[in-house]
Amino acid sequence: MDFFIQMLASGLSVGAVYALVGLGLNLTFWTTRVLNFGQGAVLMVGAMVTAVLIASGTHVIFAVAVALLTAAFILILIEALAVRPLAKATGSMGWIVSTLGAGILLQGLASWRFGTQAVAFPDVLFSSADTVQFLGAYISVQYIAVFVISVLIVVLMELFLRRSTWGYAVRAVAHDNEFAALLGIPVRRVVLASFMVSGLLAGVAGILVSQVSGTVDPGFGMHLLILAFVATVVGGMGSAFGSLVGGLLLGVLEKLVGGYWSPAAAEIVAFILLVGVLTIRPQGLFGKPEAVKV
Amino acid sequence: MKSMLNKLQGVISNAYVLIVLMLAMAVAAPFSDAGTVQMWCFAAINVLLAQSVNLLTGIAGQISLGHAGFFAIGAYTSAIAMTNWGVPLPLAVAFSSLMGTAVGYLLSIPAGRVREFYLAMMSLAFGLIVYELLREWRGVTGGVMGMRGIPSAQIGTLELFGIELGTVEYFWGLLFAVLVVMWMLRNFVKSHFGRAFYAVHVSELSAGSLGISQGATKRFAYALSGCIAGLAGGFYAFLVGYLTPESFTMMRSVEILVMTIVGGLGSLVGPVLGAVLFTYLPQKLQAFNDYQYIVYGLVLLLTFTLLPKGLAGLFNVHTRFSKRDQLKLTTDANAALTMRTPAFDPLLRVEDVVMEFSGLRALAGVSLELRRGSVMALVGPNGSGKSTLVNVISGIYAPTHGKIYFQGRNISGLPSHVIAQAGVSRTFQDPRNVPAFTVRENVLMGANRLYRHNALSAAVNAKWAKVEESRELARVEALLGAAGLSDSGDKVIGDLPYGTQRLAEVARALASDPELLLLDEPAAGLSEAEAEQLVGLIRLAQRHGVAVIVIDHHMDFLAGLVDEVVVFEAGEEIYRGDMDGMRTDPAVIEAYLGAEETENA
Repeated sequence: MDFFIQMLASGLSVGAVYALVGLGLNLTFWTTRVLNFGQGAVLMVGAMVTAVLIASGTHVIFAVAVALLTAAFILILIEALAVRPLAKATGSMGWIVSTLGAGILLQGLASWRFGTQAVAFPDVLFSSADTVQFLGAYISVQYIAVFVISVLIVVLMELFLRRSTWGYAVRAVAHDNEFAALLGIPVRRVVLASFMVSGLLAGVAGILVSQVSGTVDPGFGMHLLILAFVATVVGGMGSAFGSLVGGLLLGVLEKLVGGYWSPAAAEIVAFILLVGVLTIRPQGLFGKPEAVKV
Repeated sequence: MKSMLNKLQGVISNAYVLIVLMLAMAVAAPFSDAGTVQMWCFAAINVLLAQSVNLLTGIAGQISLGHAGFFAIGAYTSAIAMTNWGVPLPLAVAFSSLMGTAVGYLLSIPAGRVREFYLAMMSLAFGLIVYELLREWRGVTGGVMGMRGIPSAQIGTLELFGIELGTVEYFWGLLFAVLVVMWMLRNFVKSHFGRAFYAVHVSELSAGSLGISQGATKRFAYALSGCIAGLAGGFYAFLVGYLTPESFTMMRSVEILVMTIVGGLGSLVGPVLGAVLFTYLPQKLQAFNDYQYIVYGLVLLLTFTLLPKGLAGLFNVHTRFSKRDQLKLTTDANAALTMRTPAFDPLLRVEDVVMEFSGLRALAGVSLELRRGSVMALVGPNGSGKSTLVNVISGIYAPTHGKIYFQGRNISGLPSHVIAQAGVSRTFQDPRNVPAFTVRENVLMGANRLYRHNALSAAVNAKWAKVEESRELARVEALLGAAGLSDSGDKVIGDLPYGTQRLAEVARALASDPELLLLDEPAAGLSEAEAEQLVGLIRLAQRHGVAVIVIDHHMDFLAGLVDEVVVFEAGEEIYRGDMDGMRTDPAVIEAYLGAEETENA
C-alpha cells in the first residue's frame, strides 16, 4: 500500500510535468501548426544551465532566471531558423526535420560544452530528504511541489488563454491565421510570443523534472518529448485541459507499471497507448476531429 | 565550367555509370585490402538503409525518425535465426526483411487517420523502444552485452552450403543485393504504385479522388521501407559478427535520415551519394566524429532551407514516374475511353441530401438524377452549395442526411477513394495536380484505378505490368491529343500556364475511364481556345456514355453543352430545366440580380 501511494505520488508529479511540456508543445502548435520536435532538448538546456550555474556558485534565483531566459531565447531562434523559413513549403516534412535538427544541435552543443555524463541536479525546491507522511507512506515534498507548480501553471495558462485579449488573439491565430491578420491581430507578434512562452514553459518543466529525477544529461529530453506528446495525444491535440488529464493518466500508469513490473515495460505501455489512441480515437479524449479543407 | 557541370550531371544521373562503377568495385575487391572492402560493405549497407528511408520519405512523404529500429530488428533476427536455429544465410537474411516488413506494417496501422507528424513522433518512439528492448530483453538479445559469436565474413566463420565466405565474397553478395533492390525500386517508382506513393505525399485529398487509399498506401510504404531496412540489418549482422544495442541508438536513425536528405530525397542516385559520403566522412575526418551531433543537427536544421533536393538536386537529377522510356507504344486515338451502352436506369441518384457544417446548412435537401451520356450543369451564386454537393458525391464529406446511389449502390459516406474506384472522377476548383510531375505523368496518375498488376510485377517489370503500363500510356497519349496538350506532355506541369494545368486535370479525370465525371468550375481562367478544348473533352466523354456534372458561371460555355441545368440558392434547388427556361425564370433572376423593386416610391 505504501509503495502504491508512493508510485501514485511520483506518477502524479511527473504526469503534471508532462502536461506542462504538452502545453508548451500545444502553444506553438496552435499558432503555427508546427510541432516542435526539438522541445526535449530545450527542457534539457533549461535544466542543464540551472545545474551548471548553481554548481559554479550562482544564486538559485539568478540561475533559474538565466535558464528560463535561455530557453525562451532558443525557442525564438527555432522559430526564426527552423519554422518560419519552412512554413511555406508544402507538407510537414521540412519542419519535422528542421526542428528535430535544432534539438540534436542543442544536444550536441551541450555534450561538447558539459560532457555527455549525467550532472547531479541541485535542490532548487526543498530538499530531496524532506518528506511528509500520507496514509502511512512517506512522500517527497519535492514531488508535491512539482505537482502543485505544474498544475498551477497549466490552469493559469488555460485561464489566460480563455479570458485575456492575448488569449483571444492566440485562439484567433490558431483558428485561421490569415483571417486573424485581416482582423488586425498582430499575427507575427502572437506567434513570437507563443514561442517565447513555450520556451519558458519548457525551461520550467526541465527544471521540475530534473528536480524529481535528480540528474540531467544532454540526451534526457527525447523521452520526455515523446511522453509529453503521448499525454497530449491522449488528452487531445489542442486541448490544454486534455493534456493535463492525459499527462496525469500517463504519469500514474507509467510509474505503476514501472514500479510493479519494469521501467522498459512502462515505455512500451506508453507506446501502445499512443498507437491505440491514434488508431481508435485520433482526436484524443477531449480534442475535436480535424476538419477537411477543400 | 558550366558545360563540365552539365557533363558531370549526365554522368552522375546515369544509372549505367552506377552499374559500371559497382562492377568495377566487384572486380577490384579481391585485389584490395580487407579494410577497404569492409568499408565498401558498410557503404553498401548504408545505401540500402538510405534507399529504405528514401522510399518512405522521399517518395511517399512519410518521415521515419526511428529507422535504426528496423535495422536492429533485421540484424538481431538473422543473428538469432542463424546462431540459435541454424538457419542458412540466405534464409536468415530473407527472414530479416520479412520481420522488417511486418513491423513496418504494424507500426503504420493508424496511418490512415492521422497526419504525418503523428507517425513521425511514433517512429521516434519506436526507435527508442527497440533500443530499450535490446537492452532489457536479456534472454533473447543478450542485453547491454549484446550478441557475440555470430558467424561473420570478417573473421571467416561464415559459411554458405559448406563454403566459407570471406569479406570479398560477402561484398559480392551484398553488391548484388544492392543492385537488385535498386533495380526493383526504379521499376516500382515508375509504376502506378510509385505514382500513388507520390500522390499521397503531395495531396491526400487529391490522392483520394484518384482512387488511392491514403491509409493503405502509407502502410504499404512503411512495410516496404521496413523490408529494405530489415534486409540491411540482416547483412549487417553477418558482416560484423557482434551486435550491441549501442549500434542502434537514436543517433543511428538520425544518421540514416541525414544520409538520405543530404544525398537528395526522391531520387535513386541521391541516397547512394549520401550513403557513401557519410560512410567515409567519419572515417577520414576525426573532427567529424568529435562534433557528430553538432554536424548532424546543423545538417537537419538547414538542409531543407538551403539545399532542399540535396546533392542529387545539385546535379539536377530528376526522377520520372512512368515507364514511357522503357516501353513501345501502340497509339490508338479512339481507345481513350470505353464505349458505354446507354441505360434507362439513372446512373446517379441523389436523394434528399442535407449537409450541415456545425450548424451551417450548406445543402438543405437536394435530390437529383443523372443518366449515362447526359450533361448536367449546377449553377448558382457563390456559397449556394454547388461545390458542397460535388464534395458530398465524391466522398470528401459524408452527408448529414440523405442517400446517394451510384449504379444502384448506396455510396453516401463512403471514403473518397472507394467512390473514385467505383468510377466517379472529379476535378477541383483549384487544380490539384502534382506540380513536380510532367503533364503526362499527371494524366497517367488518373488511370490509377484501372491497373491490376501487383507490386512485385511492377518491380520486376513483368510482362503483365508492361502490357498494362503501355496500354495506359497509349490512352494517355490519346487524351493528351484530345486536350490539345500533345506538345507539353513531357513538360513539368508546375511550370506551365494555369489554363494548361486545368485542362490537364480534366484529362486526368478522364484517364480513369470514369462512369461519372464531376467538374468544379473547369472553365474558370481558361482562354477562349482552351475553353474550346474543354468543350471537346466534355463532348468526348458524353459521346462515350459518361455522365457529367459541371459547375460553372459562364452561361455561354454551358449553353451548347448541357442537357439540364439545376440552379441552387442557399443550399436549395430553385430551378431545374433547360438553359432558355433558366434565363427567364423569376426565382433565378432574383437569386442572381436581387428582387425588383415592386413598391412605387
